[in-house]
Amino acid sequence: MSKALRVSVVVVGLAVLHFLLHVGFGLGDVAPDLLTVALLVGVREVEVGWGAGIGFVLGLLEDAFAALAFGASTVAMTIVGIAGARTRDLFVGDSLVFLVSYLFVGKWLRDLVYWISVGEDIRQPFVESMLIGSGLAAAYATVVGVVAIAISGAWWETVR
Amino acid sequence: MSAYHIGEHEEATGRRKTITAVVIVGLALALPFMPAAQQQQLAFLLRSSVLRPFVSIQEGLAAVRLHAVSTEEFQARLDSMVSALTNQGTLAEENGRLRKLLDLSRRLGTAYLPASVLRAGTAGSESMFLLDVGSDHGLRVNAPVIGSGGLIGVVREVRASMSIGMDWTHPEFRASAMTMDGEIYGFVRAERGLFREGGRMLLDGIPFHNSLEPGMAIVTSGLGGVFPRGITVGIVDQLAAETAGWRRSYWLRPAVFPGSATHVLVAVGTMSERPTDLTEVMQDSTTQRAGPIAGSGDRDRLEGPGS
Repeated sequence: MSKALRVSVVVVGLAVLHFLLHVGFGLGDVAPDLLTVALLVGVREVEVGWGAGIGFVLGLLEDAFAALAFGASTVAMTIVGIAGARTRDLFVGDSLVFLVSYLFVGKWLRDLVYWISVGEDIRQPFVESMLIGSGLAAAYATVVGVVAIAISGAWWETVR
Repeated sequence: MSAYHIGEHEEATGRRKTITAVVIVGLALALPFMPAAQQQQLAFLLRSSVLRPFVSIQEGLAAVRLHAVSTEEFQARLDSMVSALTNQGTLAEENGRLRKLLDLSRRLGTAYLPASVLRAGTAGSESMFLLDVGSDHGLRVNAPVIGSGGLIGVVREVRASMSIGMDWTHPEFRASAMTMDGEIYGFVRAERGLFREGGRMLLDGIPFHNSLEPGMAIVTSGLGGVFPRGITVGIVDQLAAETAGWRRSYWLRPAVFPGSATHVLVAVGTMSERPTDLTEVMQDSTTQRAGPIAGSGDRDRLEGPGS
């Protein structure tokens, strides 16, 4: 299987698994944010335009259930998609340390943009929400993401 | 092709990619400013197409869970019958309690439909829930949603066979409320906590010359044209804040914790077709909650709607 196809399968698989756990099984925060992991894995292989497009589509899917701030997830995922795609030009890394940092910062950035986008009336205090809540969520997504990538092989040789 | 032309081509390609990304970001930024009706239409389109299988899975699981609950209930009744051999008084009490819960739907009549609650569990969907009934069943926007314990929320969006509601933890939720005797009025809303889970129910706008005692039951007042009078909202817990000479606010222990609601009753038809006063219907559950809590202050005595 070519690498592009393998990455595509992993991205779609993670997105399906995300909605299966969150919507199908109704697990909520108990399940990790696999949608962001899927986005971060996918956009490493594409240009910024595609990165924005993938982020837009995934964010819009998540916003289909949003009652608090429609569009906030789309904005956050689009920006993270662009940033993730840009890392190809800015960082040439294939180590486990880079992968962990990439997933952690990517997930945290997604939550930060989302936190800003939802507006003052809805968002929780910054310290509790971003430094504690999102920090834990980013660590959770990173661990699950690394495991998923290691199993699927959708990354560079050194991680597999 | 010369190096100059190759460089020019790459530059044009790069510019095109950047423009594409900027356009998509622009579209994303425009989404929150779209009219609410178009936002709902777009969200509904996605929920009823790409995401429909996931919603169906949760509906199936909810049905399975309901059957499991029924089995447990039958088992509990069997256990109760066995225990009646040694203690008939306990059985009578338990039987009465179950009868009150099960009778709520019958007492409300045809104005309220039973519905299953589904929760999306995705970012931004924390205060919303899906109901498996819609306009085909006579549901309308702003229909009250109640559990056997009391008020859960209100319907915001109605489709043919499905609708979306917001529970009382939503930042925009408001309900006019009063004490059981109708002497003191205020309004109920959610107050954010440091964390999402820390949100609490607040009774605000109580005149300063009035004071509420812990354990007092709070019900909807019927003002505002959305909720009928008499739905149990919560129990007064403690004073939250007071503005000297002006007003007080009180923390309430909610009658229903939204996360525990799996099956609810939702109003159908127009306001004029529904009873405007549910005081008599809800009185049993209201007094049941207010009584022991007022005396013991036991937080754990509050029950979810499914209990």
